[in-house]
Amino acid sequence: MTRLVDVPTQLDDRSFDQFTGAFAAATKDGERLLFDAHAAEWASPYGLVGLLVAGEAARHRSGGPPPLLTAPTNPDVASYWARAGFFREAAELFEIHGRLPKGKPREESDVLLPVTAVRAAEDVHEVVSKIQQRASTILASELQLDPKATMGFAMALSEACQNIVEHAGVGGWVAVQSYHWRRTLARRVVVIATGDAGVGFRHSLEPTQAKRFGDRWGDAAALEAALIQGVSRFRDPGRGQGLAGIRRYLARWDGKIAIRSGTARIAIVPNWDDDVPLKEGLPAFPGAQVLIIIPEQGSATR
Amino acid sequence: MIQHIDVHSVLQESSAGVYTDLVTRPTGRVVRERIQRVIAAGRGEGGGAPAIARMDFNGVGCMDYSCADEIVARLVREWPAVLLLRTLTDGHREAIQPVLAAHGLAVLVEQPDGTLDALGTPAAAVELLAQLVIQRLARRLPGGTFVLLAT
Repeated sequence: MTRLVDVPTQLDDRSFDQFTGAFAAATKDGERLLFDAHAAEWASPYGLVGLLVAGEAARHRSGGPPPLLTAPTNPDVASYWARAGFFREAAELFEIHGRLPKGKPREESDVLLPVTAVRAAEDVHEVVSKIQQRASTILASELQLDPKATMGFAMALSEACQNIVEHAGVGGWVAVQSYHWRRTLARRVVVIATGDAGVGFRHSLEPTQAKRFGDRWGDAAALEAALIQGVSRFRDPGRGQGLAGIRRYLARWDGKIAIRSGTARIAIVPNWDDDVPLKEGLPAFPGAQVLIIIPEQGSATR
Repeated sequence: MIQHIDVHSVLQESSAGVYTDLVTRPTGRVVRERIQRVIAAGRGEGGGAPAIARMDFNGVGCMDYSCADEIVARLVREWPAVLLLRTLTDGHREAIQPVLAAHGLAVLVEQPDGTLDALGTPAAAVELLAQLVIQRLARRLPGGTFVLLAT
């Protein structure tokens, strides 16, 4: 028997827990999953990476045939997902049904980094090298970011990717895009999304932090320890610099970070957004997913 | 005695010529270990530990916080020589400054005109400058800036 997982028509960080709820419900009995994205109209980098994470988790959980995925029927949407690098990665995880765009997808100016697998330090080098070649002009011209900000952007991207390599225990994905953020901002933004189906923050930090938190220990406490307190699973005093560095960078450029892991999600929310700082009791979802947003500078109300 | 270390060359040797960015902890670890070997070899030739290790970052692209910690902060913590950095970009400074400050450490930065600047915790930087002045490796100029005497 196959269990259906509906992919929201607008798959982004807002609708993501509608998706994780469907995923959690469908995975209860170990049946093969069908991810139904035929009606999809749009997906953010966060949504695309999250869909891959679900696919990987489903594939490894069952040990049987790969999960199924129906591609968006709208050719423009399917074409966009192809240009964003989604199908190239998805082909290794899903049995894909539906009409996919043929040929090599042309490069899209708003796709600063297509969905890219991150499994080792070498991949992080590759990502940082690519983003410096591709992003600096766009960040400066479209987002009016200071040239200093583009170097900081590469550093933040590097640290976000290393988080996967060092803590997940498995590989993950990263994607970077620039687009118009209509929801609350009406400005252009550049978005970094990473995701993995690994052990998650709670499991990673449990050996060193659980005792300190006592009864409060859980997904939310682990996220708070990592993002707010800057703790790391390593006892080395130099560890924990990565997320702290990302926070400093985002504070300077009025950016946002949100991390979802297990059943919780934590965010550092700038004035321009209406997200909540902490959500608990979300549907369980494997690994960790990170969303970083840097808005266009200049017209911001700080 | 000042020992000169070309960080870009060390990075190239460490990565078979592939990388120009100092990113990721594994890369930082390999580069630091090579630098430590270079400094140790220099000590053998001179008969004593070099007083200053001058690390030139010319040609190094992006440096992330992990590499700043793994290379610069660890060298400062574990090595008795004063670290003198040169040809730093704003991006390099952005990575190194908070990492050193978090540990209460400092390094000196050699400006193109030979004057010395510092990164990290101000109190630790004052101590480093005082140490160099006592060893007659640097002197204070009338304006309050410091200049390196040794080359």
